[in-house]
Amino acid sequence: MKVVYALFADPESAQHAVDALHSASADLKFSEQKIVIVSGEPHEGYDFADSHLTNLPYVWAVLGAAAGGLCGYLLTTLSQKSYPIFTGGMPITPPWTNGIIIYELTMLGAIVTTLITLLRGARLPNFKGLIKDPEIWLGKILVGVADPPDAARAQLETCLLRAGGAQVRETSTTH
Amino acid sequence: MERTAEQIEQDLLRPIFTTSSRYMIAVTLASCMVLAGVCALGYQLWEGIGVWGINSPVFWAFDITNFVFWIGISHAGTLISAILRLCNAAWRRPVTRCAEAITVFSILIGAAVPLFHVGRPWLDFWMIPYPSERGIWPNFRSPLAWDFFAISTYFTGSVTFLYLPTIPDFAAVRDNAKGLRKKIYGLLALGWQGTPRQWQRLEIAMHIMAIAIVPVAVSVHTIVSWDFSMTLVPMWHSTIFGPYFVIGAIFSGIAALILTMALLRKFLHLEEYLRPLHFNNLGKLLLTTSLLWFYFTFAERLTTWYGNSPSEMDVFWSSIRQNFAPIFWTMVVCNFVIPVPILSVKKFRTITGTAIASSTIIIGMWLERFLIIVPALDHKYLRFAWGTYRPTWVEDTLMASSFGMMALLYLLFSKAVPMISIWELKVGLQPHGGGVITTAPTKRKPRGLVLEGPLPTDVPE
Amino acid sequence: MSHKWGLVVDLDRCTGCEACVVACHSENNIPTAGEDQAARGRTIQWIRVERTWEGDFPNPKVRFQPVLCQQCDAAPCEPVCPTYASYHTEEGLNGQVYNRCIGTRFCANACPYTVRSFNFFNPKWEKPLNLQLNPDVSVRSVGIMEKCTFCVQRIKSAEIQAKAERRELKDGEFTTACAQSCASKALVFGDLNDPNSEVARMANSDRATKLLGDLGTKPNVTYLERGNWQDGTNS
Repeated sequence: MKVVYALFADPESAQHAVDALHSASADLKFSEQKIVIVSGEPHEGYDFADSHLTNLPYVWAVLGAAAGGLCGYLLTTLSQKSYPIFTGGMPITPPWTNGIIIYELTMLGAIVTTLITLLRGARLPNFKGLIKDPEIWLGKILVGVADPPDAARAQLETCLLRAGGAQVRETSTTH
Repeated sequence: MERTAEQIEQDLLRPIFTTSSRYMIAVTLASCMVLAGVCALGYQLWEGIGVWGINSPVFWAFDITNFVFWIGISHAGTLISAILRLCNAAWRRPVTRCAEAITVFSILIGAAVPLFHVGRPWLDFWMIPYPSERGIWPNFRSPLAWDFFAISTYFTGSVTFLYLPTIPDFAAVRDNAKGLRKKIYGLLALGWQGTPRQWQRLEIAMHIMAIAIVPVAVSVHTIVSWDFSMTLVPMWHSTIFGPYFVIGAIFSGIAALILTMALLRKFLHLEEYLRPLHFNNLGKLLLTTSLLWFYFTFAERLTTWYGNSPSEMDVFWSSIRQNFAPIFWTMVVCNFVIPVPILSVKKFRTITGTAIASSTIIIGMWLERFLIIVPALDHKYLRFAWGTYRPTWVEDTLMASSFGMMALLYLLFSKAVPMISIWELKVGLQPHGGGVITTAPTKRKPRGLVLEGPLPTDVPE
Repeated sequence: MSHKWGLVVDLDRCTGCEACVVACHSENNIPTAGEDQAARGRTIQWIRVERTWEGDFPNPKVRFQPVLCQQCDAAPCEPVCPTYASYHTEEGLNGQVYNRCIGTRFCANACPYTVRSFNFFNPKWEKPLNLQLNPDVSVRSVGIMEKCTFCVQRIKSAEIQAKAERRELKDGEFTTACAQSCASKALVFGDLNDPNSEVARMANSDRATKLLGDLGTKPNVTYLERGNWQDGTNS
C-alpha cells in the first residue's frame, strides 16, 4: 500500500486538508475511504476525529456484563445444586454469597468484553500496512490518500500543499 | 513552562533508551531483597509454616497483614486513574500511569501472599472451580473463595486498565527504536497506527473501564475485609469493616503513590511533569482520607468501648493499654498526628512535606492491618486459649522482600514503559484541554472551506 | 433412625487428671510438639483441660473444664473453609477431611472455642513411639488442620459391625477414647437421638449448659455443672 501524504502542524489545518481531500475525491477519482489520517494523540472536537463516534462499545459492555452474570449464576447455583452436600443447616445455594461471585463475574464480563470490543473496533492487532513517520509523535497530523491513481498525483500534491502541508511525502507500507 | 511535543517525547522516552548507574545499583539492591525473600520462602516451603511465628490461637499474622496491606495499596491506581478520569480532573494526566502500575504490581504481590501462606501451597489450585473426578469443588460460601474471584477480576481489570493507554506509547517507542527493541515494542503495540477510529475506540474503552473498575475496587477490599468480619471473633465481627478497609486502602494507596511520584520525579528528572500542583492535590486527598480513617477508627473504638461487652473489651484494652499499646499509639501518630498538620497547612503541603507524610502513613497503615488481625486472635472468647505472637526472621524477611519485589517490578517497568502517558499529556496541552469522550461531540470546530482565506505562503521545496 | 452423636461432660466430676488428653493423643496419632514448640503455642490438643482457680494453697477453689470440638450444629468453621474440608456429616458431626485441607487456617480463626489445631511441621515420633500409632487413624502431614472427631473411626467401625450383624447399635457398645479413659466417668458419649441413651438423659439434666451458648453455634457437647462459679468467661 502506498500512501501519499503531508504533515500538518495543527488540527485546524489538518481539518482543512481533510475537507479539501473530500471535495477533491470525486474529481481525482479516489474513494473517500482511502483518505488516511494518523496522529499521535486524539483531537476531539474536530470533524475528522469525531467521525467514528459510536455507542456500540457501551452496548457490548452491558451485554458482556450480562453474560458474565449468567456464567456466575450457572457456576455457583447450578454446581451447588448438582452436588448437594449435606450442610447441616447451611443453605445449599445461598443467594447473598453466590451473589458476590455473580457480581464479580459480571464485572469481569464487562471488562473482557470491553477489551475485545476495543481490539475489534480498532482493528488490532494489525501488523501490516503501518505508516511510520517519526514526526507523528512530535505532534504533527498526517493526512493523505492511500493508493491514489497516478494521474491524480500532481493535483493531489497541490491540494495538500494548499491546505497547509509543509511537504508531500510518500511511503510504501509493506512491513 | 510549556513543553513542546518534541520535548515531551524526549523527556519521557529517555529512561527507556538510557540507563544510569544509579538505576543499576537500585535494581541490584531490589533484586537482593527479592532473592532473600525467595530463599526464606524456599525454606518455609521445605520445613513447613512452623518456621513462622504463628501459633494457636494466632493463626494469621504477618502473612495476612501483608496481604491486606498490598491489596490496599493497589487502590491507588483505581482512584487516580478511574475516578479522576471520570471527574475530568485534568491534573491527573501525568499521574495515571504511575498509579496504575502501582496497582498492578501490588495486586500481584498481594495475591501471591495467600497463595503461599497456606499450609499446602501446592494444592492452591483447588480454589479454582474445575471438574475433578475426586469431587473437589470450592465452597462459594467462604470469603476466601470470594477473594479468589474478586482479586482475579480486579487484576484482570487493572492490567487491562494499565495496558490500554500504554498501547499508543508502545507505538511511540516502536517508531523511535531499532532492532530487537523495535520488534518487541511492535508486538506490544499490536500494530497501533493512530487513526481517528482507533483513538475514538481507545477513549471509549478507557471510559468504560473507568466506570467498571471503581465498583470492582470497592468490592475487592470489602471482600478482603469480610475475611475477618464474617467470623465471630470479638472485634472482627463488625459491620464497619467493609467501608473501613476501603477507606484505609485508598488512604494507603494515595500515600504510596505520592512517595513513588516523589522518587520518580527525582530519579527520572520529571520535575517539569510531576509538579508541586500534583503533590498539593494528592496531599489534599490524603488529608481527606486521613480524616476519614480517623473517623472510622474512632467510631469503631467508641462503640466497642461504650458497649462494654467483655470479650470485646479484652481485645480493646490489649490494643489501647496493654501489650499492643506501643504499636497502637505509633499507628495513630503515623496515620493522623503527623500527617494532618503537614497536609492541612498549605505551606507544608509541598513535595517534601507530602512525601514525609506518605512515608509515615505507609508505616502506620501496615501497623493498622497488624493491629486488626493479631490482638483479636490473641484474645478470643476462652481465656485459657489466649496466646501471644512474635514474628520470626522468615516473616521479617518475607515482608521486607515484598517491598523489594515492588521496587524491582517498578524499576523494571520504568525502564520498559514511559512512566507518564505521553499521548494523554499531549491531549492535556491542547487548547481546549481534551476531555473524556462523550457520545455526541459537543465542541464542533467549523468546517473550513477549502479555499477560504489566503493561501499559505510558506511552501518549502 | 439416624444417629446424632453427642458428648456430656460432668464438670462436677472432673478431677483434672487429663487422662482423656493422653488417651486422645494415643488413639488419634497426635504428635507431641516438644518443649520448644509447646512454648511457642504449637501444641496439638484435640481435647484440653482448662484450669481456673481462685485462692491459694491449702484451699484454692479450682475448676477444671475439658474443652474439645463442640461439633456445633451451626458451626462457624464450616462456611469459611474454601475447599469444603470442614463439613457437616449426616450424623451431626463436624467432619474434617484431611485430604481436602490446604491449610488456610480460616476455620481455626473462626472457631470461637479455639479447638482446632494446625500441623506446623511434619509430625515425628521418636522410636519406639512410632510403633504405637493407631492403624485406624491416618497420620496428618504438614499444613493440615485437625481437631476432635468424636473418634469417628470407632463410630464407623461400630456401625459397620452392627450392620454386618444386622442389628441396631446399642448404647454404651463403644465410646470415644476420652470417655473410655475417664476415671471419674465425667465424660459420657452416645447417641442423642436415642431417648434411652445415657447421654440423652444427661443432656436433659437441669444442670446442663452449653459453652458459649449465646453465640448460637448450637454445640453438641453439654456441660453439667451445679453452682455458679464466675470466672469471667462467657460460659
